[in-house]
Amino acid sequence: MTAVDTPVAAGRPRAPASVGQAVVSVLVIGLVVGPFVPLVYSSFRSKPVYLPGGVFSLGGYRTLFADPAYRTAVKNTLLFAVGTTALAVAGGTLLAILCTRTNLPGRRAYGLLLMAPSVIPPLGLIVGWTAIYGQGGYVTQLLSRNLHLPVWNLSSIPGMTVFGAVVTLPVAYLTVRSTLAGTDSSLEDAARSAGAGPLRVIGRITLPMLRPAILNCTVLIFALCLEILGIPLFLGGPSNIDFYASFLYRSWSNSGTPDPPFVSAGAVLLLVVVSLLLVVRARLSGAEQRFVTVGARSGGVHRPLDLGRWRRPASAAIGVFIAVTSVVPLLGLVLMSFVRVLTTLVAPWHLMTSDNWHAVATDPALRRSITDSLLIAVGGGAASVALVAVAALIAHRSRFPLRRLIAPALMYPRAVPGVILGMGFFWTYLMFTPGSLVRNNLWGEAIALCVRNLTLAYVVIQPSLARIGVELDRAGHAAGAGWWTVARRILLPMLRPALLAAFVFMFVTLLGDYDPVVFLQKPGTEILGVTMLQHWSTGVQGPVAALAVLQVVIVAAVLLVAGRALRRVDHA
Amino acid sequence: MPEIRIRNLRKSFGAATVLDGIGFTVRDKEFVTLLGPSGCGKTTTLMAIAGFQSPDEGVIAVGDEVFVDRSAGVDLPAERRDLGIVFQSYALWPHMTVAQNVGFPLSLRKADKRAARERVAEVLDLVELGGHGDRYPHQLSGGQQQRVALARAIAHPPRVLLLDEPFSNLDAKLRERARDWLKQLQTSLGLTTVFVTHDQDEALAMSDRILVMHGGRILRDGTPEEVYREPGARFVAEFLGQCNFLTGSVAAGPAGSSVLRMPAFPDGITVGAAPRGPEATVAVRPQDIELDGPDAPGVDASVIEAVFLGDHYRYQVRVAGLRIEVHAPHTVACGPARIRIPPGAAVFVD
Ligand SMILES: Nc1ncnc2c1ncn2[C@@H]1O[C@H](COP(=O)(O)OP(=O)(O)OP(=O)(O)O)[C@@H](O)[C@H]1O
Ligand SMILES: [Mg+2]
Repeated sequence: MTAVDTPVAAGRPRAPASVGQAVVSVLVIGLVVGPFVPLVYSSFRSKPVYLPGGVFSLGGYRTLFADPAYRTAVKNTLLFAVGTTALAVAGGTLLAILCTRTNLPGRRAYGLLLMAPSVIPPLGLIVGWTAIYGQGGYVTQLLSRNLHLPVWNLSSIPGMTVFGAVVTLPVAYLTVRSTLAGTDSSLEDAARSAGAGPLRVIGRITLPMLRPAILNCTVLIFALCLEILGIPLFLGGPSNIDFYASFLYRSWSNSGTPDPPFVSAGAVLLLVVVSLLLVVRARLSGAEQRFVTVGARSGGVHRPLDLGRWRRPASAAIGVFIAVTSVVPLLGLVLMSFVRVLTTLVAPWHLMTSDNWHAVATDPALRRSITDSLLIAVGGGAASVALVAVAALIAHRSRFPLRRLIAPALMYPRAVPGVILGMGFFWTYLMFTPGSLVRNNLWGEAIALCVRNLTLAYVVIQPSLARIGVELDRAGHAAGAGWWTVARRILLPMLRPALLAAFVFMFVTLLGDYDPVVFLQKPGTEILGVTMLQHWSTGVQGPVAALAVLQVVIVAAVLLVAGRALRRVDHA
Repeated sequence: MPEIRIRNLRKSFGAATVLDGIGFTVRDKEFVTLLGPSGCGKTTTLMAIAGFQSPDEGVIAVGDEVFVDRSAGVDLPAERRDLGIVFQSYALWPHMTVAQNVGFPLSLRKADKRAARERVAEVLDLVELGGHGDRYPHQLSGGQQQRVALARAIAHPPRVLLLDEPFSNLDAKLRERARDWLKQLQTSLGLTTVFVTHDQDEALAMSDRILVMHGGRILRDGTPEEVYREPGARFVAEFLGQCNFLTGSVAAGPAGSSVLRMPAFPDGITVGAAPRGPEATVAVRPQDIELDGPDAPGVDASVIEAVFLGDHYRYQVRVAGLRIEVHAPHTVACGPARIRIPPGAAVFVD
């Protein structure tokens, strides 16, 4: 039995337990909500808050709406978001159905490989794509210069849309796949015994059944597209195409008076839009819950739909898709880190160089970015998991008065745009921390990155916690254990596999994430993502590729080790 | 072991009243069963004693310690009540060995390491699991897990033992054995025990006293025999085994008895209690009715169905438009027969 929200502890909470619970709850809620207050405040000021003489004003918003570049960025973002969402949802749904409901050869391996774009550090994939399909990329050059064929432009809106779809496709794929796994396949079997062929079953039964899930991930991906920063900064740069987030970023860093109110105003508007989308999505997933629970969970063996003579072609197409979108760009990334320039006119082995790697090994800023990122990934990951674990226990296994606020608070930071959270932290540090307490050292960046990703630790821990019956806590209380003792000796040990998984997830994400830090990084406190971004924008590509390769290798190694460890923990 | 006193317990979830003034006392060393259909509030009552549900109103005290007194604002946390509980799901902690599970309450009480080890061994021996201390819960059978749960509940040792349908996950054979065995253990340790079940056989076999619950109230409180023979309420009679209900007019009989008359039994049915009104309903157990061939004494009846059930036959009998169930060890052919309700077989119910 899993009664998630059943209060467990008895009577009024005992003082020592509730003091600890209060500290953790206030910390979590404060960290998540806190940064948005100064941001909203600063958007309604006539001058940046650090300047004297500012008054309340809508000037920031007026400047914003009057700026033609803003309107172009909004238009670009909408075009990109619509196209990307359509492609990603259609592709993800199709692939999920093919890999879970049909006899597609190799569907198991594909099931894993299709997730690759979500674990490859995002900048690594972007740089890899540039190396292969960008303006000067290998494949692009091969087709245009060597074969004189017309080629695409990765830096155009359609080009970025395709890449965006590849990156967000795993979201749709995962949502649809987990819904399919939770729906009774006998519904489809019934249609087949009624005489429907595979295509008709998919069209008439499977897809309609999936409608809530598809709607849900459509809204989610759309919201993700609105806040995307890396794609326009890396790919849009050559053609000067700005999206919403990159417009904010560039206005911020190029502005004459630093930190102008209209950037805050833009951030607040995006925050409002994305928050509204979240409300819509919460409604939709409520609908999905109802939908899923109608059917009994399938226990029996499901006979997959037969694709007939399309089996092999479909399988080959998916193989090519994975190769083109993930494998080849990764190889391109590695190659890029070992050559002086990208060209198809000279064989790459004539251009071999170790300069890029040498730079990574010797340049103090680059080295610092690696060690700092690792430090944040390990230390921040561990601290976040510890905080989230206790917060989740308070949210679901205590009678603490604020407990109902904790779960939403933990879901929020990942739902709002990372750049905006980062901007919030910037203002918070500026206005509330004395001197340079956290602003000028790694702490500030570490906190922003960790808060941004608390959600990820929570979504891993929460389902495992829900599977632990409340009677296990009750047995502990009956034996005489207080809330903290039950947490420490019963619940947390039982959550060990989930805690480890959450840590790995946090580590991988913290190593690659940079959105919330672009406004915070100062010389001396570099992290990988922002360093790559800054070097890339000054035209330095080789060392950036080397850093990206390093990121990919670390992530792959950690996933491999963690996979082993998790399997061992599960068996114990 | 102290006694448990419960007064006027009330609890609602929103508009639904789940406990509607529950009150009872469990005497020292007594085995009391809360018996009732699903959803009648048994678990809620037990969890209120344990401290996992706060009643809206009422008093719960064990010995001279008040656990709950809503009017005085007292609500002792579960961990300070010093009780032993066995949950329906056993709630064994999967990451601890059997010995660690059983030793947990002792370690919380800062027991001396060696004394604790000895106590764990002693309790495991008591539940016939000596030598299983190093196993993990998933390496045990259902019956063994259930005994570990019991061992953990009695280890510290508790003031009171609470059991919520502890046998419901066992198969029928094992359940009967566990029943005898638990009862023996309870008697030999002298544990004051509250037991929750919806299984009447379990309740009858084990209890010193049975409280029959329905809709958040206690309908009947008595020894198994009292509750079975004098159910008092129609619901109780029906819940504890099958029953025929007959309604008719009542007249006073000799020596404080009554006679219930109805068309099917023109001579009347003798009931061993004074009449309480002109009309009444009586309950008659199927096995207390005499049924035999057309030459036997009694009123005319007709057997319309006979089913062989191993140790007895179950007959459906029609008597002047009434349908009556009779259990009898002997064969009676379908068709005309005679039926008789002997004095003492029928009791008044509300
Ligand atoms: N947390 C809750 N919220 C709302 N209603 C509840 C809650 N817990 C119990 N109830 C209701 O209270 C009533 C009594 O529940 P309880 O668990 O005490 O029943 P029970 O007698 O133990 O039944 P069973 O034999 O099925 O275990 C039920 O109708 C149930 O629906
Ligand atoms: Mg119950």
